[in-house]
Amino acid sequence: MHGATPALDLDLLREVEQFVYREARYQDELQYDAWESLWTDDGVYWVPANGGDTDPTKQVSIMFDNRARIATRIKQLHTGKRHSQTPPSQLRRLVSNVELLPPPEGATFGPAGDVYAGANFLVYESRERGVTLWAGRSEYALRTTDDGLRMAFKKVTLVDSDRPLYTLAFLI
Amino acid sequence: MTSAAATIPWDELIEHDRVHGSLYTDPDVYAAELERIWYRTWVYVGHVSEVPEPNDYVLKSIGPQPVIMSRDKQGEIHLLLNRCTHRANLVCDAPKGNSSAFRCPYHGWTFSNTGKLLGYPFNSGYAGTALKSELGLGRVPRVASYQGFVFGSFAEDGPTLEEHLGAATDAFDRLVRLSPTGEVELTAGWLQHKCKANWKMLLENETDGYHPQFVHSSIFSVAASGIGDLYGEKSTAVCRDLGNGHTENDLRPEFRRLDQPLGWFGTDPAKVPDYVDQLTAVHGERTREILVDGSPHVMVFPNLFIAEIQLFVIQPTAVDETVQHVTAVQYRGAPDMNRRMLQQTIGSVGPAGFLLADDSEMYERNQRGVQARNPEWLQIKRGTHRERQDENGFTVGDATDEVPQRAIWKHYRSLMEA
Amino acid sequence: MADEVGELSSEFASVRVRIDTDGNGPRLRVEDLRTGHVGFLDPLELETLAWLPEGGLHKLLDPSLHRWRAEDQER
Repeated sequence: MHGATPALDLDLLREVEQFVYREARYQDELQYDAWESLWTDDGVYWVPANGGDTDPTKQVSIMFDNRARIATRIKQLHTGKRHSQTPPSQLRRLVSNVELLPPPEGATFGPAGDVYAGANFLVYESRERGVTLWAGRSEYALRTTDDGLRMAFKKVTLVDSDRPLYTLAFLI
Repeated sequence: MTSAAATIPWDELIEHDRVHGSLYTDPDVYAAELERIWYRTWVYVGHVSEVPEPNDYVLKSIGPQPVIMSRDKQGEIHLLLNRCTHRANLVCDAPKGNSSAFRCPYHGWTFSNTGKLLGYPFNSGYAGTALKSELGLGRVPRVASYQGFVFGSFAEDGPTLEEHLGAATDAFDRLVRLSPTGEVELTAGWLQHKCKANWKMLLENETDGYHPQFVHSSIFSVAASGIGDLYGEKSTAVCRDLGNGHTENDLRPEFRRLDQPLGWFGTDPAKVPDYVDQLTAVHGERTREILVDGSPHVMVFPNLFIAEIQLFVIQPTAVDETVQHVTAVQYRGAPDMNRRMLQQTIGSVGPAGFLLADDSEMYERNQRGVQARNPEWLQIKRGTHRERQDENGFTVGDATDEVPQRAIWKHYRSLMEA
Repeated sequence: MADEVGELSSEFASVRVRIDTDGNGPRLRVEDLRTGHVGFLDPLELETLAWLPEGGLHKLLDPSLHRWRAEDQER
């Protein structure tokens, strides 16, 4: 949980917005390596199940990737034999409500950043099965590097994380 | 009411080595399955560790039916139908809770967690009737458990649970033997993975040793995994018909050949010393053999898949839609092993899992493919020429053979024709 | 796990009250400090207590109802 938004730094907000839009474009356009390069070396990618308040060291999650597992996920997509993405999902997502946030209080289950942000999203996924809509909220711990912002931690809480879900093999 | 099952010519749809495509798509077949399988035979519902305290309850299901699994104050477990006996509202909504009584939100009818109707508002409106004794919650008439796994049967009479499980009881014994306390706990929560496919596509795949090298080659090629070789042409593993529709991929011959304790889990004793010490305190010299043999890979007909470190529960929700519920096995009192089993489970299974996302894609592709009317049949003849009996009289085949699929359909047909 | 609510004493009884979270939902854990006997009350039971009419517990306060009763006593 995050508290009130700190005094607004418009330049930083602009930089963060551009970062999350770029991330969204890499995901939609299957630019896997470009997406992977947005992570820090200690990055953690978490998609909780059953609401956003679980402890992923004690409860199942949809994804709880450390940096090595993020790399494995990308390598698996690159094989061309990741059947749940062969052919890949056709995707476009809207990202909005981008906000700078104060550092979270309590356990986050991921590494710290120096910039914190949140955004809402709606993904339109088209596959042979049909169209699936994925809505949720992303929370980021970002780090400022010489190459710009990088993700140290991304937590994606789906609106329907506590219900039966179709296969989610694209990058959310 | 005419029986749906009685109108379907099962002998024309199910042969020894091939089955008809309509079995996966025909709504009448699905209706017959509900009647003859899901609402008659023993179906796995939940585990005692999910209701640890008196008055705990969890919401479960038997096929599409919503079921409340409750533990009463005396510790006895009940399977109650989640339907108010007044006007059919759902009595419980929260996925789990602790309460001695359930109060329906529609008109306030209140039931004990044993199903008894305790009362209703403004009771003068029911003067002179004996509602309390007549209108308790519907219940699954037979409830039984084995090694903490709770099953229900809607049939008042029939085989006992142990008769139904038969040789599959050994899978539960082998599973809990790997826990230092002799008990497993299903406390890690559930992932619910939905797919547009008939439930039998999942049932048949769970012990299909022919698919891993193809469906899962992407992850085998990028992550160090010996799983693929277990199901290779040279593997000494076998598949087995355990009777009553229960089937197995028995990987022990391969694990014994490789002779690596915890090799089945992709680790070694040095990584989990506390666990190995605990297990040694219980099993002594036999510990090494237990750690080499590993955990079972057994599909308990019709809906519980014991998959080494995961448990899957298959829930049909329509003829072409199924929800697969999955959790990590946790050994009571073995935190170091439990952490690893949980993290491996998160990586492998569920909607984004390295393995199960691709299995589910196959189920859905199967379901689309079977719409094609030519050929009409699915072939399950692989390995018929090399089927053999093991030392206990069970039919076995090579690792990639279709003995399990033939076993499933043979039992299925016997249930549908009963 | 249990969060302490507090201890309540009168000249007739002493109890310690906690909110227990070991089960699938929270319960009030009530411990009789004189005997160590423990009982639990769930939210629906507690709500029922809140609506008790005057004297609604009198029947349960009968010492021979279950705690002090002869073995052969009719219930």
